[in-house]
Formats: sequence, structure tokens, C-alpha cells
Amino acid sequence: MLASRTVKNFCSFKRNIPRQSMVAGLVLLGALGLATTMAKTDAILAPLWLLAMAAGFTLQRSRFCFASAFRDLFLFGSGQVMKGIIAGLAVSTIGFAIIMYGMVPSPGFEIFPSEAHILPVGLSTIVGGLLFGFGMVLAGGCVSGSLYRMAEGYVASWVTMGGILIGLALLSQTWNWWWEATISQEARLWIPSTFNLGYGGAVLLTLAALLTVFLIVLWWEARSGLFNPDIQDEKGPDDTFQQKLSILWRSIFVRGWSAVVGGSVLGVIGILMYMVHMPLGVTGELARFSNTIMISLHLPPPEALGLSALGGCSALLGAAGLFTHSFAVTVGVIAGSLVGALFANEFKLRFPRSAKRYVQALVGGVIMGYGSGLAIGCTLGAMFSSIPSLSVSGWVFGLSLSGGAFLGVKVIKRLA
Amino acid sequence: MELDVRGEICPYPMLKAVEAMKKLKGTDTVILFTDHAPCLSTIPPQAGRYGYTFQVEETGQADWTITLKPKEATI
Repeated sequence: MLASRTVKNFCSFKRNIPRQSMVAGLVLLGALGLATTMAKTDAILAPLWLLAMAAGFTLQRSRFCFASAFRDLFLFGSGQVMKGIIAGLAVSTIGFAIIMYGMVPSPGFEIFPSEAHILPVGLSTIVGGLLFGFGMVLAGGCVSGSLYRMAEGYVASWVTMGGILIGLALLSQTWNWWWEATISQEARLWIPSTFNLGYGGAVLLTLAALLTVFLIVLWWEARSGLFNPDIQDEKGPDDTFQQKLSILWRSIFVRGWSAVVGGSVLGVIGILMYMVHMPLGVTGELARFSNTIMISLHLPPPEALGLSALGGCSALLGAAGLFTHSFAVTVGVIAGSLVGALFANEFKLRFPRSAKRYVQALVGGVIMGYGSGLAIGCTLGAMFSSIPSLSVSGWVFGLSLSGGAFLGVKVIKRLA
Repeated sequence: MELDVRGEICPYPMLKAVEAMKKLKGTDTVILFTDHAPCLSTIPPQAGRYGYTFQVEETGQADWTITLKPKEATI
């Protein structure tokens, strides 16, 4: 009697859990297993992998899309996602400064904290940013956006990722030309030492600049007359402990997070990753992958002049083996996002219905991939991790992204 | 008027909803079907702009229906 009731209870319990949540649990278990395997290669890989998964989960939950942050400003005057990016940058800036202070207490000429994303500033940053901004708007997602949408089942994002790999391949075949033409003469400007401001001054300057951008976004929203309605909250009973728990579960795992929450959490994850080893960035691994493909096609890229000394997403190009730091970070983002999508019951294979969208996804990906190779990073590596590194390059890249996104918006409006 | 934008990603669901609201000028309801979660937060701000109210309903796994009704008709 009791046994049959227990079985019945168990069955109804099982029926109440969506199937995708069960798959999510399995993926999570597998990911933890992989973490212990990777830890045998290099102990640091396990925390990097788990933090990258947390980043992927956060990107998926808040639908954090750098492409829409720039695009929506020009398309309909919405700064919702941009505010999330600003919040994340402000959080990261303070954390990064403390970490960098621990490594280089008194900033001097040409001495940079290791792994900080302080990249060359010049024509390569501007051209890279313009191409990246244009490509991400055309494709409908940046590199990190495409990574987490791949895990949500967006087939177009798989096409975009193919394009990114092609773009990165084209860049590594032409890198030496860019190196001779401009990058070799470009300086890596670090606000604490270049402008002799020290950490305090550099952090204050960065925060003041972020506040200025925030105010401009607010003004821009007001000017465009955007009407922000209150998205109605779920109204359910929350009397019992169980109901309260269910509401908490839904607000984390099912309903999307706001961009400001997503950005801030991403900022904290960036700090933790830097504490473990290095800031968030995914382009390095993709470039390495793209190089591996070229080598197997007997089209090896020429040895990239000067690249290994530039830091940021370039530093890991030479690493060998499967389980590298950048593998843990890049694949971790995909795995974390898959867990997020499954828990929310949102995983679904989604095919674009018109051929036009596939072309957009591919061409946008190629342009964006080339731009990310040139600027040595995507919206994560060259901006989200670079501005908090107190580097000038992050700002120049971000500004150039806006220009590219503006041009991209002109084009995508015609492709409706 | 029914608008099936499943398979489309941002910004197209929003652009198509705006186009429909502009064309109908409040003479008809727009019922939009989507499988793209981000447009649940991009379409509602546009509804207010063109004199429409909005209602979001989850109709299945990664499947939503957004109903845009002219404001006058609801009074």
C-alpha cells in the first residue's frame, strides 16, 4: 500500500518536471565530470570551465546581446541592453583595478599586468571595430551571442559561427600585411601609466566616462520618445513556502533576467575569471580552431608577426592540446548556455524560413570574424574585458562598433 | 491580422509588428506568433507608441503569442 503510493508519488513528481530540465541536469553532471577530467591536465582549467559555464548561463538567462545593445539604439532608441553593458563594465573596472594593483603596484612605462586586455590602439582597432559592428548587426548577434544561441538551437547562429571561422582564417592569412601597414606602429595605451594617472585616477576617469555614456543613453532614449511599459510580473499565489520557492525558481531559471542584472553578474564573473587566471574572451580559441582547420586543409597561415606579444585574445594561439584555457572558456560558454536554455524549457531547433537570412548570417559572420581577428577580440575580449583593464583600446573599439552598427542598421532595414 | 514570424530573429519580429501596426492604424488586432524570446521585451515598447495594448501568452515550448489590440477598442 505504502509502496504503491510512493511509486505513484514518484511518477507524478517525475511528470511535473519538464523533460528538458532532466536533460539539463544530465548536461550539468557531464560538465562536472569534464571539469574533473580537465583538472587532471591542469588544475586551473576546472574553475575556468565552471566560471565560463556561469557566464554562458548568464548570457542565456538575460538574453544578453551586444549586437542588440548597439543596434537598438539606432533602430528604435532603446538603451536597455546598453545600460546592462555599462553596469557590467563599472563592476568589472573596480575589480580588475584591484587585481592589477596586486600584480603591478606602481604602473610604469611598458610594464603591464599579465593577462590584462591592453591592446594596440590605431587604425586596426577602428577598422576592426567598424567591420565587427557592421557584421554583428547584419548577422543578428556578436561572437558571444552566436555562441549562446548555438546552444539554444538557432541554426542561423551555427551558420554565423561558420562565417566567423572563415573571417578569422582570412584575417590570419592577411595579418602580416596589417602588421607591416599599421599594427607594428600602434601603441598599447594603458591609462594608469600612459596618462600618469595611477590606478585611482584611471578608475575615476573610466567610471566618469561610463557615467557620461549612461547619461547620453538616457538622453538618447528620451529624445526618441521610447515608451517603456512595465512588463507585467507573474501574479501567482506566494503564501506557502513551496509557492515562494517556485516563484524564486522561475525568476532565476525560467523568466528572463533584466539586462542590468545580466550585465552586473557578467561583470562579477569576469572579475572571478581574472582572479583565477584571465578575463573573459572567446576569440582566441576560435582563431586557434580556425587555424587548425586551415592546417588540415593544407592552407596553413603564415606565422603571425608580433601577435604573440600583444596579449588579450591573441596570447593563447600557440597553446597545444585539446584542453587549453581558451577551450575551457569558449566551450564552457556554450555548455552553460545549453543548461540555461534547457532549464527554461527554451531549447528548440529554429530554422530561418527565408534563404536571405542564411546569407545574412554567413556574410555577417565572415565580416565580424575578420574584424575580431584584426582588433584581437570581440565584444567580450576587446571591449567588455578591455575597458576594465583600463586600456584605451576598449573605448576606441566600442566607439568604432557604434559606427559599424549604425551602418549595419541602414542595411538590415532594407532586408526586412 | 495574424503574423507568423517564427524562425525570424531580432530585429525582424519587432520591425514586422511595427509595420503591421502602422498599416492597420488601430483598425484591427495583430496576433503575432514567435519562437524568439528576446522580442517579448522589444515589441511591447512599440505597442504603446502606436496606440496598442499588448498581451504575451506562452503557448508552448519556446513558443509565444503576442496579441496587440488597438487602445480605443478596449475602452
